[in-house]
Amino acid sequence: MHKNPVTIGPFESVGRAAALMNQLKIGGLPVVEKGKLVGIITSRDVRYCHPNRLVADAMSRNVVTVSPECSFWEAKEIMESHGIERLVVVRDGRTVGIITKSRLYAEIGKHVDALTGLNRAEFLQHKAAELLQSGQEITIIFLDLDNFGTIDKEFGHVIGDEILQQVGKILKSVIAEGLDYLCRYAGDEFAVVTVRPLEEAKQLSWQMIKALAGASWPQGIHVTASAGVAGGRRSRVRGEPNGTHNVRDLINLASLASTKAKREKRPVVVAGWVELEEVG
Amino acid sequence: MSSRPPFASHSSEPVRRAEVTIRLSEFEIPPMQDVLLVGKRAPIGPEAVRRMVDALTPEQYDIIYLDHEIFEAAVLKRSLLKFLPQEKFLPVILEEGMRVATENTVVKAQVNIVVQVNRAVDL
Repeated sequence: MHKNPVTIGPFESVGRAAALMNQLKIGGLPVVEKGKLVGIITSRDVRYCHPNRLVADAMSRNVVTVSPECSFWEAKEIMESHGIERLVVVRDGRTVGIITKSRLYAEIGKHVDALTGLNRAEFLQHKAAELLQSGQEITIIFLDLDNFGTIDKEFGHVIGDEILQQVGKILKSVIAEGLDYLCRYAGDEFAVVTVRPLEEAKQLSWQMIKALAGASWPQGIHVTASAGVAGGRRSRVRGEPNGTHNVRDLINLASLASTKAKREKRPVVVAGWVELEEVG
Repeated sequence: MSSRPPFASHSSEPVRRAEVTIRLSEFEIPPMQDVLLVGKRAPIGPEAVRRMVDALTPEQYDIIYLDHEIFEAAVLKRSLLKFLPQEKFLPVILEEGMRVATENTVVKAQVNIVVQVNRAVDL
């Protein structure tokens, strides 16, 4: 976010707001009265208003705000659902920053895998924590391609990259938006956090494995994968949270289960169910 | 030594005079009468009007924000609303206002309301 943004008072003129935006090359100003956020005026508001008007007569009063702790993805969802281009960051009723769409998207871009277009591991951790905090049970599916190192060595990294791209597309076609959240975890590893119950998630992992095995691949390569599945829910345990797990542990459990699946030459291994005390 | 100016006044020299005309009239406070209709793109908006009437004649006007194709707000003298309730008065004033106003204008209106009452009293 842009810290300590320039603000304007409600009883200054629209002309002054326009001049300020022009001078600073910015598209919006939070409107602050006695330290409290009372509105926002944007270049669009200014365009349609007489410059003599008061800012109070041109601003939008319903300002969409977020806290400084809000995640990139949450901010993106809020921005898109409201169809707006900037969010005011507020702490204890005071304006502490502003997030613009362009800056937010640039930041999110850093967390998107350039090869597959899928989100990276940070997204999975964020989404899993968010779902748990909202009281939902979640399941992690960790999927690891079999012998990918050999494919890279035998056919070259260009073919390897093509395969990874195709894997991303296939997995994306299998999951359901709003239920499952997919990411490229690292290298040849992909992961999904889903709100489906454990048994249904297991079925989904089978579908993913089958979809990969049934697809046609460059140079007739046979691509298979092994999956580990682990589910959990947030629980409140009194006293010390010893013996409980967090989101990272859950991902780790699924990851270890996928390694076990590979070792035992089984497509899917379910690690089981854990109670999670800490999230994020 | 001559006391005359170096250039004596010439017959073609223009004569300059000033005429002062003063017209005095009472300034009405606030500078509006009974109703003000504020266009959506008028140079002043409802908040500016609110500040004006609050400063000059506090508690005498009501500002009603509108969802209207031309006007953003109507400022009504409260005393008028004793004669005619807002829900009866506002549609009439908006309908007439629309005939003369645009989004860019602020229209003031003088309104006279005469209430006629006929009552029968038992003798």
